[in-house]
Amino acid sequence: MNVLSCSINTLKGLYDISGVEVGQHFYWQIGGFQVHAQVLITSWVVIAILLGSATLAVRNPQTIPTDGQNFFEYVLEFIRDVSKTQIGEEYGSWVPFIGTMFLFIFVSNWSGALLPWKIIQLPHGELAAPTNDINTTVALALLTSVAYFYAGLTKKGLGYFGKYIQPTPILLPINILEDFTKPLSLSFRLFGNILADELVVVVLVSLVPSIVPIPVMFLGLFTSGIQALIFATLAAAYIGESMEGHH
Amino acid sequence: MANMIVASTKTLITSSPSLPPTTTTPRPKFHLPHISLPRLPKLLSLKSAALIAATTTTSLSLAPLPSMAEEIEKAALFEFNLTLPIMMAQFLLLMVALDKIYYSPLGKFMDERNAAIKEKLNSVKDTSGEVKQLEEQAAAVMKAVRAEISAALNQMKKETAAEVEMKLAEGRKKVEAELQEALAVLEKQKEDTIKALDSQIAALSQQIVNKVLPL
Repeated sequence: MNVLSCSINTLKGLYDISGVEVGQHFYWQIGGFQVHAQVLITSWVVIAILLGSATLAVRNPQTIPTDGQNFFEYVLEFIRDVSKTQIGEEYGSWVPFIGTMFLFIFVSNWSGALLPWKIIQLPHGELAAPTNDINTTVALALLTSVAYFYAGLTKKGLGYFGKYIQPTPILLPINILEDFTKPLSLSFRLFGNILADELVVVVLVSLVPSIVPIPVMFLGLFTSGIQALIFATLAAAYIGESMEGHH
Repeated sequence: MANMIVASTKTLITSSPSLPPTTTTPRPKFHLPHISLPRLPKLLSLKSAALIAATTTTSLSLAPLPSMAEEIEKAALFEFNLTLPIMMAQFLLLMVALDKIYYSPLGKFMDERNAAIKEKLNSVKDTSGEVKQLEEQAAAVMKAVRAEISAALNQMKKETAAEVEMKLAEGRKKVEAELQEALAVLEKQKEDTIKALDSQIAALSQQIVNKVLPL
């Protein structure tokens, strides 16, 4: 019994130090519904960062771009390139969707790693990247689904549903299943990666407070960027796929 | 979904207290990575720990555990609520806003700049064509001038040659005439001399005869 209480105390101490909280939320009530306030708060910060920096950089475009404008032009070129590669020549109207998808996820992921959220104490739960909440990733994934249905339907009308029996009608169940697996894989990939990354960093920091977690933090930054790119690229690929003609 | 996580924590909790009877060493370190044990310590009173230790792992669904699950704050990892539609709306608003202040203006600006640069480049290419044309023109002019000059030169050469020829012929004619005249004068003088000599010959021969033949 002594041993047990000792181990429990140790655990409790370590737990208090590390302060790992998973699945703990800071709730707000909005019209009888609950929301995860910490996600909304961080997402507002991310949105503010995006809108603010974009406004500052693009406010007065120069023919010979200055530093900020140059960076934003590079980002826009990158987004256009991704969209064009995946969607094809008619990518123009999809640039805002793909671009916002990429930028929002990217800034969210990096904000979780770079911004000192822990300074702000919440009564319950803690501030972290908005993308480590399943609500955010599922919202983005569902929007992607809506987007590619919209793209296919506007491009081909009801003929879009012809793709479900495209190679052979035998594949109909698999084709229908795809519409469910696409948002599922999109959302869980992002959610899992970001949550796991933040947990690994937190646990490592609690175990070895110096130096050792740094490589993992850099790995986390890398993963975050890759995940944002993957999400945006796949969204673009799905849209492109539903727009391309099956001849 | 939340139940799944809670269930996973249950197995962890029950397995750890069942260990001490067999092994005496405390091993808290092994449980460090189990970060999904949020409120575990304060829940596990010694009484309940003893109870759990007494029961086997098959007694998961027995009395103390549901209360534990209630007390453990729901690890709501997969909890969906109003956050989801709010995030959707936020995303769409962000998309519209970013399109208004970023993608459209900057994209339009970049396209216009590209078009302007392309146009300038094309115009530069055009002037290079113009330059080439001018060069060709210049070459043609030079060629024409050169031909003209050579023609003029040739003509002048011909003219001078003819003039020289003429003058030469004239001079020759004059010289010939003078020569003729001189020859004629010479001939006449010769004849005169011969004539004079002839008359003298008679006188001289008379003298010789007179001298030789003293008669």
